[in-house]
Amino acid sequence: MLSRVADAVFWMARYMERTDNVLRVLRTNYIASQDEIQNFDWQLWVDGLGANGGDVKTKVTTYREALFHLLLNKDNDTSVLINIVRARENARSVQDYITKEVWQCMNDYYHIIQDKHTEQLMLESDPVTAIDSLLRESVLFYGSVDVTMSRGEGYTFLNIGKFIERPLRSLDILELKMLEMEKGGNEAMHWKYLLYSLSGYEFHTKQYKNALQMNEVIHQVFMNTQFPHSVLYSLQQTERYFKRLGSISVPEHFKEIEFLIGKSISNLKYGMNPQAGTEEVKSLIIKTRSEIKTLAHKLATLYFGYS
Amino acid sequence: MSFGDFISGYSVPPNVWDEMWKQGEIRPQYKLFFDSLSQDSLAEFSRKDDLAKKLFMSQGITFTVYSDGEGIEKIFPFDIIPRIITAAEWSHIESGIKQRIKALNIFLRDIYHDQFIIKDGVIPASLIHSGAGFLREMVNVDVPFNIYTHISGIDLIRDSDGSYYVLEDNLRTPSGVSYMLENRNMTYRIFPGLLPKNNVRSVKDYPDLLLKNLMALSNRQKSDPTVVLLTPGIFNSAYFEHTTLARLMGVDLVEGRDLVVDNAKVYMKTTAGLKQVDVIYRRVDDEYLDPLIFNPDSILGVSGIYYAYRKGNVAIVNAPGNGVADDKSVYPFVPQMIKYYLNEEPILKTVPTYSMDDPEHFKHVFSNIEKMVIKKTNESGGYGMLMGHAATEKQVVEYQKEVEKNPRQFIAQPIISLSSVPCFINGKLQPRRVDLRPFALNGPAGIEIVPGGLTRVALREGSLVVNSSQGGGSKDTWVLG
Repeated sequence: MLSRVADAVFWMARYMERTDNVLRVLRTNYIASQDEIQNFDWQLWVDGLGANGGDVKTKVTTYREALFHLLLNKDNDTSVLINIVRARENARSVQDYITKEVWQCMNDYYHIIQDKHTEQLMLESDPVTAIDSLLRESVLFYGSVDVTMSRGEGYTFLNIGKFIERPLRSLDILELKMLEMEKGGNEAMHWKYLLYSLSGYEFHTKQYKNALQMNEVIHQVFMNTQFPHSVLYSLQQTERYFKRLGSISVPEHFKEIEFLIGKSISNLKYGMNPQAGTEEVKSLIIKTRSEIKTLAHKLATLYFGYS
Repeated sequence: MSFGDFISGYSVPPNVWDEMWKQGEIRPQYKLFFDSLSQDSLAEFSRKDDLAKKLFMSQGITFTVYSDGEGIEKIFPFDIIPRIITAAEWSHIESGIKQRIKALNIFLRDIYHDQFIIKDGVIPASLIHSGAGFLREMVNVDVPFNIYTHISGIDLIRDSDGSYYVLEDNLRTPSGVSYMLENRNMTYRIFPGLLPKNNVRSVKDYPDLLLKNLMALSNRQKSDPTVVLLTPGIFNSAYFEHTTLARLMGVDLVEGRDLVVDNAKVYMKTTAGLKQVDVIYRRVDDEYLDPLIFNPDSILGVSGIYYAYRKGNVAIVNAPGNGVADDKSVYPFVPQMIKYYLNEEPILKTVPTYSMDDPEHFKHVFSNIEKMVIKKTNESGGYGMLMGHAATEKQVVEYQKEVEKNPRQFIAQPIISLSSVPCFINGKLQPRRVDLRPFALNGPAGIEIVPGGLTRVALREGSLVVNSSQGGGSKDTWVLG
């Protein structure tokens, strides 16, 4: 497979996963903001999710402004709209490699998010309806990939991209939630909204039985291999897909990446303190994120280094 | 609604051949089509028209215009009423194009080797050597199977008497074939069941025929040679076509940066290392193919690719240097080429052409400018031409000055009144002018033409310019069996 194509497929998957995660967290936050008496701190989320990379931070005063900035603002480099545009540009450059169905799905997504009706719902009417319609496109994308794409290299790189992006998003959302918690409010409610954002609340109630406790939530987010948004689950999936590249890889390159994935998994499995306190969790977030980013960087150098 | 209501007001301008209408009657090939739709209401036609637009957009059959860093999606306008060609007409077109491609291919071989046609005084040497399309780098280069014109698009028009004329030959990187395929897909979505009922011949073999020809060009003794399609990239207006063809043929779509030359062999950079490439169907112009030989600023091509080609280690399709044969000033000599190389009479007519570097011709053209169109010999897409009947006096004077500066770069032709076809515009049938671009594939087994082509239509009322860049659209082209 062409290195450029592998790179584009990998990034298409990352942008799509990022989009899906951001949409879920914004949906939850919007509902939370409507349900609470105290003012919801949208600025924290705008700074955390929508930072433009520059020194100038966008100031928002209302939830509509925050939603516009994070979802539809063309000038915000990290908005959902820009994510979709980038995912589609990547898809466009590998149109011959992904299936027609996946391309059409991607293309529909692009047209729906640009649709005036979506914007009107988001800014003047019910944002949940708009976000739900976008999430439906996301699910359609994953379904089309699963049903139509051959299980070759393209599919493998697509999944590696997805499972590298997912833990990074889970860690970001957890970090922001912990920051939010420091500013006050009911701790159990914060954990509940965190789990809603990661589509893990129902699972938590079934699996952990107790009232929401920090250690159990942290365990679910980091370690629970039945929870698809957990860091360990994502790393194990990355490892599973990466191993499929064994037969076509340059052996040294393969070994190097295999080692990095294995090391991250072992660090989590055997290095995590089940009773970790807030500060320890924060350091763990930083350390794990750094390891995953190193892995992504190495992959780009060894497998996508075409230029 | 009766059919009479539907076509009321359909009025064909005088001295124009209409593909549907003949002295107050509908030609048989269109009668069958409209009879099949007799139950449809006008509202139904409008619905089909909307459906077609929606399908084009949702399937991403678009070209992107980039302005201010933002991509704007545009669809190539599509008219839902097909253009219908009878079996007898197609047989005439097919044999005419085959004859023409055969002669042009021999011409290319001759011009880059012995130049008998010049030595025998059929074509002046100055005309060949002064043209920008003549590549000195191709002289004495042997190409696989002596084929230069692997993929050609021949533009045909129909004059008021119904006879077909060749308007121009496109032998470099002709585009539009994906629209031929997609327009057909659209037709069976919006007119279910109509294609078999009308006995329309299929065009879907095109990618298979093309791939078969490309694979046959490989120089390595392999059953599965590596064929790639080289695109300038996603910003190219024909990018949709490149992806469509690559997907339909199952070959890799590569950009210049994906390829590298080592020891006169071309490789592509894959996740598993370098992989040798045998055949390149390039959609990059000659000028940008190899920065070491042609334009040194090109980042679309591959350094050293031309050397690998000369060594015979990679086949490039179409062959570089074909521009010398589809140069508009060489065009009037094609009938002589056919007689000279094949000893046959040309089957398809050629539009009379005036060379602007001939003072007699120059004078004649500007004295009769309202009947003339002047074109640049190396431009296409409807750019750089002057339609005498539509130009102002000032425009003519300015254009004349341009021509005087470098007359070799211009030719003139009498304006041919393109034939018209019915189009569904603003809720009713209206005649609009069309041309036809069939695509011919020239391979080791001979020349094959899929029964169909791209019908381009001038959607503006009264316009004779069919190019998409100038407000043109397209139609599905039906060839009846």
